[in-house]
Amino acid sequence: MLLQQLVNGVTLGAVYTLLALSFSIVMGILGILNLAIAELFMIGGYLGFAVITAHLSLPVAVAAGMAGAAAISAVIEKIGYEPLRDAPLVTPMLSTLGFSIILQNIATNMWGSDPLQLPDEFLGGRIALGPVSIGELQLIVIGVTIVLVAVMAYIVQRTSMGRALRAVAENRDVARLLGVSGSRITLTAFMMSGALAGAAGVLIAIHYAAITPYVGVEIGLKAIAVMVIGGTSRIWGALLAGPLIGIAEVLTVAYGGSQIRDFVVYGFMIAILLFRPQGLLGGSGADQGQRV
Amino acid sequence: MNSPRNKWSVLLAAAILQIAVAGSVQAQTVAIGAIVPSSGPFAEWGRSNTVTLKMLEQEVNKAGGINGAKLKVIILDDATKPAQAASSLRKLAGDEKVIAVAGPLTSSAAEVTFPVANEMKVVSMSQASSKPGVAKANRPWAFRNTIDESILAKSTVPYYKKTFDIKTVAIIFDAKDATAATVGTKIMPAMMKDNGIAIVNETDPLSFNTGDLDVSAQVTKMKSLNPDGVVLSADYSQAVTVLREMKRQGFIKPVVGATQLISSAILKAAPELPIVAPATFYASMTGGLAAPFVAELQPMLRKESGLPAEIEPSMYDANIYEIVSMYVEAAKKSGVTGKPEDLEADRTKVRDYLVKLDNFKGLGGPISFNDDGDAIKAFYVLQGQNGAWTTKVQGCSSVPGHPAC
Repeated sequence: MLLQQLVNGVTLGAVYTLLALSFSIVMGILGILNLAIAELFMIGGYLGFAVITAHLSLPVAVAAGMAGAAAISAVIEKIGYEPLRDAPLVTPMLSTLGFSIILQNIATNMWGSDPLQLPDEFLGGRIALGPVSIGELQLIVIGVTIVLVAVMAYIVQRTSMGRALRAVAENRDVARLLGVSGSRITLTAFMMSGALAGAAGVLIAIHYAAITPYVGVEIGLKAIAVMVIGGTSRIWGALLAGPLIGIAEVLTVAYGGSQIRDFVVYGFMIAILLFRPQGLLGGSGADQGQRV
Repeated sequence: MNSPRNKWSVLLAAAILQIAVAGSVQAQTVAIGAIVPSSGPFAEWGRSNTVTLKMLEQEVNKAGGINGAKLKVIILDDATKPAQAASSLRKLAGDEKVIAVAGPLTSSAAEVTFPVANEMKVVSMSQASSKPGVAKANRPWAFRNTIDESILAKSTVPYYKKTFDIKTVAIIFDAKDATAATVGTKIMPAMMKDNGIAIVNETDPLSFNTGDLDVSAQVTKMKSLNPDGVVLSADYSQAVTVLREMKRQGFIKPVVGATQLISSAILKAAPELPIVAPATFYASMTGGLAAPFVAELQPMLRKESGLPAEIEPSMYDANIYEIVSMYVEAAKKSGVTGKPEDLEADRTKVRDYLVKLDNFKGLGGPISFNDDGDAIKAFYVLQGQNGAWTTKVQGCSSVPGHPAC
């Protein structure tokens, strides 16, 4: 059972990783939590669901989820963040919370509160490896996550766009003096963040073959914990912390009791905040200001 | 004396007198309140409840209203939040001057709202709460048009055991749902023991939280314990997640649960997996008033935006329809006036009528209330498989021979 639970934990952790990265990109650039990300994740899931049930391929579903969530994220940036950029940090955060509730309401009105379920044919086969059984969709979730994290790391660390993102994260005013458009980079960060959330939504929707308008809330909170534990300053932090939290969660359920699951996850997050606020891979304490 | 002027004076005086007499007997409208979750995780139930109540309001007014007055059903959304349900009741009773309230839906909301109903001296009757003792703790104004889950389980579990030769079960429940948690931690464990069924995770209860999508760890653990069956205590929308995961992991075992499982949606989650649960009403019921109710309501539900195209009337639609119908009957037969100055007396008349209610014609059979405020009515143990519910056992929530049975 242990090996099987590890597989379950890594799959769950893969989704946490993508969503944590989504939070981290906006947090890294702007220092605010975009609380609508959890609902972008949910909307991405519904879009992917629609594409899959139309019998289009998984890559098309992932692309649709990413594009749709990125577009909504751009709207949030233009309406919910940009006009409030100079207000205290809590103001744009509250604005994104408002968007979160609106998106949840829109989803409930469009698709209802009952879970949408994929037909059985989409549940996918399973591969037996000795005592462990791995679903094909579990492998896809893990594989797509690794690819997206690698692509994101490449963009941030090796491209001019990434350099601009890091420059704005470091000092917006200095970046502007160097010719980097802060507004354009902020919009890009929101859209990249939305695209990652949308991808995570599609993956979780097809993996569990069910989705509801409320799926983002619990997973979104866990992703914030993963972001804190991994460190907002390092992309690879989320790749480490996601599976770590996923495994901790399933092992707690399997061996400790489901009642203490959230205690373990959020207790770990509080311990990190107290004793290593820069996160597991966040470098030294002085690294706090350098994000993305 | 017979001049035209005098004739008009007489006619005018007669008209004024008639209006004055009518005014002293009956207001123009009689208001009944309803608290349903039109938003939040159980929005489907609340929205279909709303359509049901609008249909009933039309039916009553078309048939002449309540002693000549029009029925007005005022519906508020509690989003399944107990505090919002309690404040909705305050608004309905305090501002809208309703004679009685249908709802709230969940036990969690009822536990918070029923004490407010007692404080404001207005009847509040839940359409879905089935956690033991919720109305009993809030007499005399709290009622439930449901049957206590511990009574239903006494018929459900023996059928489940006998049909599937169950010797061992694993129990999993939604820890954030008041009814589900009570059924999962108290009612079902006791019932299993009474029926000689061992619980493989007795010392290690498995739970999840409302809204969780990942229950892979819990299902993997259940599978490793290899029980003959699974007790799944959750609202159907949450239970779907567990059933999908059981299917995904190839863990196909008969499932037993409470009334919360009854829905058409749950049958799609894993059609080959047998599900046993009790109900007082289900959409494919035949006979009595159920079939005409479904025939009238179903097209209206399917036209409503925000509800699934294939939706069927639920047990909670039937329950809330019965609740407001009972209030209407009480108002008609006990002389409720609907006038502001008679409000307190009207509310007391409704309550007293319900206490003595004898064989009200419900959709699934006659209804009365016991001393705890819970309904005495017929129920059915259903088995869901391959997309349909079928009746396997018929019972009653009172001793045999009671008129409601």
